[in-house]
Amino acid sequence: MNHNFLSVNNISKSYPTKDGKGFITIYENVSFSIEKGEFICLIGHSGCGKSTILNNLAGLNSISGGSIKMQDEEVEKPSLERGVIFQNHSILPWLTVLKNVTMAIKCKFKTMSKEDIESRANYFLKMVNLEDHIHKKPSELSGGMKQRVGIARAFAIEPSLLLMDEPFGALDALTRGKLQDKLVEICDKTKQTTFMITHDIDEAILLSDKILLMSDGPEARVAETVIVDIPKPRNRSQIVNHPAYYVIRNYLVDFLVNQSSLVAKKLKEGTLLDKDLPLTVDPIKLKYNLENNIINP
Amino acid sequence: MTETKKSILLSILILVAFVIVGELLTGDGSRTKKNLTEYETLMGLGEKQAHVPGPVEVAKLAFKELSHPFYDNGPNDKGIGTQLAFSILRVMAGYFLSVIIAVPLGFLIGMSPVFYKALQPYIQILKPISPLAWMPLALFVIKDSILSSVFVIFICSIWPMLINTAFGVMSVKTDFLNVGKTLEMNSFKMAFTIILPAALPTIFTGLRISMGISWLVIVAAEMLVGGTGIGYYVWNEWNNLDLASVVFSILMIGIVGMVLDAAISYTSKYFNYQE
Repeated sequence: MNHNFLSVNNISKSYPTKDGKGFITIYENVSFSIEKGEFICLIGHSGCGKSTILNNLAGLNSISGGSIKMQDEEVEKPSLERGVIFQNHSILPWLTVLKNVTMAIKCKFKTMSKEDIESRANYFLKMVNLEDHIHKKPSELSGGMKQRVGIARAFAIEPSLLLMDEPFGALDALTRGKLQDKLVEICDKTKQTTFMITHDIDEAILLSDKILLMSDGPEARVAETVIVDIPKPRNRSQIVNHPAYYVIRNYLVDFLVNQSSLVAKKLKEGTLLDKDLPLTVDPIKLKYNLENNIINP
Repeated sequence: MTETKKSILLSILILVAFVIVGELLTGDGSRTKKNLTEYETLMGLGEKQAHVPGPVEVAKLAFKELSHPFYDNGPNDKGIGTQLAFSILRVMAGYFLSVIIAVPLGFLIGMSPVFYKALQPYIQILKPISPLAWMPLALFVIKDSILSSVFVIFICSIWPMLINTAFGVMSVKTDFLNVGKTLEMNSFKMAFTIILPAALPTIFTGLRISMGISWLVIVAAEMLVGGTGIGYYVWNEWNNLDLASVVFSILMIGIVGMVLDAAISYTSKYFNYQE
């Protein structure tokens, strides 16, 4: 019996090669779970299939094997219970900011009155500080503002699970920082269960409870689950002072620089077995153990 | 001086230059021989010779014609307004008939890659056929010259609309479709809230090309079927050797074509979007 909020069991994704003779495996034997209210980040090198996993979770793309269950129901197609914030914001350019959000609300709350829909949209647009721009078209907005519309749209439909595909990847550092603060604030308030893909290690530590690390592709795996043991609510300017921060950060950097390719190599050699993945790692304990010469219990 | 003012001034200068050069290059058709014999007078040699009219002559005629655009002195002498109205009416009839068919059909073709590929060869063969080549077949089947010219407009305007609509629908960004999917839209809602607005600018490009072609073709079609319309008018004035009227109607064809194009481009502004 498995009562996780979301459980991913041994999923894989492969495409036929161009000549049609063989298959390319993007990732395989990927298993992890998400509890209600958790914030999970997925980190890995480009091309290891992070976005594919997210699309699979969203139901936009089918998996080749394994199963994804959310609240004990198989994920087969997209659902309003799984909101997606896309990498390139995907705001509909022919609608105003307000209409972009009301359209989504209308899809979710079909019986809601027009006034309620509008006030709900206004509430969420205010939450991302866009109240002065609701009648603008997306082309009149900056990249960061567009992404905020995407955030408002996703939160306004109150999905059980929020999926974010490198939401701030295309933004400059300043805007990204501001949006991260906003996201921390909103998530603390709503306890939104979230799965997020990012390239940004600091962003991952700031936001997540657990960080999933992927080994290099093709045939990528989720190799490790890193526990981020820093109390919430967190704050972007103060989190760096927490003693655990650099321990976790260094661990993540080491994984991305050295271990991610090593894991792929070990799997090929058979010195590391799929059934042992993902390893759960708490970098703080690990460091403590190392410093005190405690061998793995 | 702003750029706009400069360009307006230059436009006026070009017009003035054109009028002067036009006047210098054209005569008024007067003959040099005076003192005609009675026979020569009877033969019409006292009348002015047929000649390419100068700008001033055309302008005078235009003023005369445009002050009574809708007069009717029988089948061979109708006002320019009446003739243009007949042509516009035919173009509209054929054009809207093809909008009704091409846009929904193009939409379906664009939604289904299988359909798109299956219909490609037929569209590619039918598209380059000169619309007037259909005329004999149309005349035989429809047995009505006016309806045949409407059919010719229909058949020439359908292809750009069909191809552009299908292409517009096909090339809607996956991201936009994904937005619809994650909002659990059914195909009907998806078609009208995501695909149609996303494809409208491309569809309008097709509509505009079709309108341009329709207006080109109606002139030729009416020269063939005769009776009424601006194409018939041009040919009739040629038969009358009234070249001033021919030049005047050429000008009117251009102006109406420009207005039709501007009307569509103006409408399309409401449906265009910037990313």
